Amino acid sequence: MSIVLKGLSKTFGQFPAVKKVELEIPTGDFVALLGPSGSGKTTLLRLIAGLEGPNSGEILFNGEDFTAKSVKERKVGFVFQHYALFKHMTIFDNIAFGLKVRPRKHRPSKEAINSKVEELLKLVQLEGLGERYPSQLSGGQRQRVALARALAVEPEVLLLDEPFGALDAKVRQELRGWLRELHQKLNITTVFVTHDQEEAMEMADTVVVMNNGRIEQTGSPENVYENPVTPFVYSFLGRVNEFRGNSLENYTPYGVDKPFSDKEVGYIRPHEIGLSRTFVNNSYPAEVSHVNKVGAAVRIELRRLDTDDLFEAELSAEKYNIMGGLKRGDQLFAEFQNLVIFNGNTLRNSEFELPPSNLVLRPEEVRS
Amino acid sequence: MKSELVSRQKKQSTASITKWVLIGSALSFLGIFILVPLIAVFTEALKKGVELYFLALTEPEALSAIKLTMITAAIAVPLNTLFGLIAAWAITKFEFKGKNMLITLIDIPFAVSPVIAGLVFVLLFGAQGVFGPLLAAYNIKIIFAVPGIVIATIFITFPFVVRELIPIMQEQGSEEELAALTLGASGWQMFRKVTLPNIKWGVLYGVILCNARAMGEFGAVSVVSGHIRGLTNTLPLHVEILYNEYNFTAAFACASLLAILALFTLFLKTIVEKAGG
Ligand SMILES: Nc1ncnc2c1ncn2[C@@H]1O[C@H](COP(=O)(O)OP(=O)(O)O)[C@@H](O)[C@H]1O
Ligand SMILES: [Mg+2]
Repeated sequence: MSIVLKGLSKTFGQFPAVKKVELEIPTGDFVALLGPSGSGKTTLLRLIAGLEGPNSGEILFNGEDFTAKSVKERKVGFVFQHYALFKHMTIFDNIAFGLKVRPRKHRPSKEAINSKVEELLKLVQLEGLGERYPSQLSGGQRQRVALARALAVEPEVLLLDEPFGALDAKVRQELRGWLRELHQKLNITTVFVTHDQEEAMEMADTVVVMNNGRIEQTGSPENVYENPVTPFVYSFLGRVNEFRGNSLENYTPYGVDKPFSDKEVGYIRPHEIGLSRTFVNNSYPAEVSHVNKVGAAVRIELRRLDTDDLFEAELSAEKYNIMGGLKRGDQLFAEFQNLVIFNGNTLRNSEFELPPSNLVLRPEEVRS
Repeated sequence: MKSELVSRQKKQSTASITKWVLIGSALSFLGIFILVPLIAVFTEALKKGVELYFLALTEPEALSAIKLTMITAAIAVPLNTLFGLIAAWAITKFEFKGKNMLITLIDIPFAVSPVIAGLVFVLLFGAQGVFGPLLAAYNIKIIFAVPGIVIATIFITFPFVVRELIPIMQEQGSEEELAALTLGASGWQMFRKVTLPNIKWGVLYGVILCNARAMGEFGAVSVVSGHIRGLTNTLPLHVEILYNEYNFTAAFACASLLAILALFTLFLKTIVEKAGG
């Protein structure tokens, strides 16, 4: 089922939690609503499910206006952040609930319900645990029961609120892969909420970045990571160096016709900073202040010798070894070719005249 | 080293003295104010033999008082259970203006002296009351009649079930209910299959306390009853009449019934507390 949100807004008292949201989700898409806590993700998800009513705007399912339809009529599967399992029912009864409450003429037979529940228990890898109560399961198992319960009614949309938020890192990692596979198998339009950019990037086909009740950017994980359209998206998705105001002049290789104001901020990701031991065009001297070699990438903290700005660069282990290892106090030359400058929320780079690329010497051997 | 040990021993012995003093005073307080009177009720009741005891309980006026007490409770308790469920639901699941006001109002029967409560009903429904002429026109009698007793009892016992349910329902939130709705349950199915099982022990607890008070209420009922023997006397009122007539054995025999009710209530309450975890 496809979902379209048109100018959707929700206000709690005086507080606008969701502001004029426009979003199109095609059938079968796997969407992450990504944003910091309080950015309105849960509220947006609840609006889609019908658990909240919007103050204005429309919600279309398969092109049909569903804005005024009740929760029951929407037939969405909803997995709550804290699972909301029925404490007093066994796992079996939890999963069977949606089938048992159907009006008699649509209710499957007892045998049909039994086999459906068994099938779902198998799908979520909890065979044999049907007689237990929710309190007798681990967090990860409860999460899977919540999912099986939602899937039992065969929804055409699956909505999950921070599905792995309350789990420890290892279980979370397992469940991510598992949910991804499940989506490939069932191909239900799925929207999940997360505040963890890594989770969104790893799992989703489409990432919707939210901030302050607004959608900042929508796109594939690669797209939002490589081409953030606002400073917020830049800083929220992955590590980034920020340079502000007047000192920005020292970073652009293009020469600037007008000076930078305080509102202008330059962003560059650590892996986009070029490092070399010798001077190349448009590079600046910097001193290594710390080296962190955990994992496949090496993080290097540096201080620019001319401006005293601190920044972080990242090299692959391989490149790092080619450079012959680094230690505190080493002097290098850093290059900020990919710096992206925003004035407020507007991109300013286009105002610069870019030099012909063949004139720029890139220290290729050390770029990661 | 040694002196430290001694001082520690000293401290410990002071602590244990404090402990025993506290426990001792709590127990003697309980003994003097609860246990001794309880024993006194039963010894007085049985002083002139078991035969007289049962005679006092089975004479027509006593039986009619017992019957009226039961009828009153049988009306007040279910109604207050229903009101309690509705009010607790409204307060915990919805946001609305005047919610704090409503929570305060619920406590009024606890805050107001029962005698005042009774007087208010006399002022409303009595012959000289606000609705007096209207009721007289339709020949409906509320004050000095059974309806008045029932109304006063409902008023006095209203808070028990609500008060019990509000914290339980607040703590549980409404996520399970919302989950039921997303799974296609109707409002009634949601209530019966999700809400009620989660609050059933709280409801039962509230009902037990509500019942104990409904059967034992004296002040408010005394004002509206009119003390008509065999007609508008509840058990507590009957005890008072017998006592005022120096019929001590019969008075204590009837009082012992109320004491048994209290003990039974405590017993049930303990069981429900255990079962509800
Ligand atoms: N029922 C509510 N009443 C009042 N404010 C609310 C309610 N639900 C959410 N909010 C507010 O709306 C904002 C967005 O909340 P939410 O959608 O839960 O954010 P997120 O899920 O992104 O953390 C928050 O500031 C929150 O305090
Ligand atoms: Mg949330």
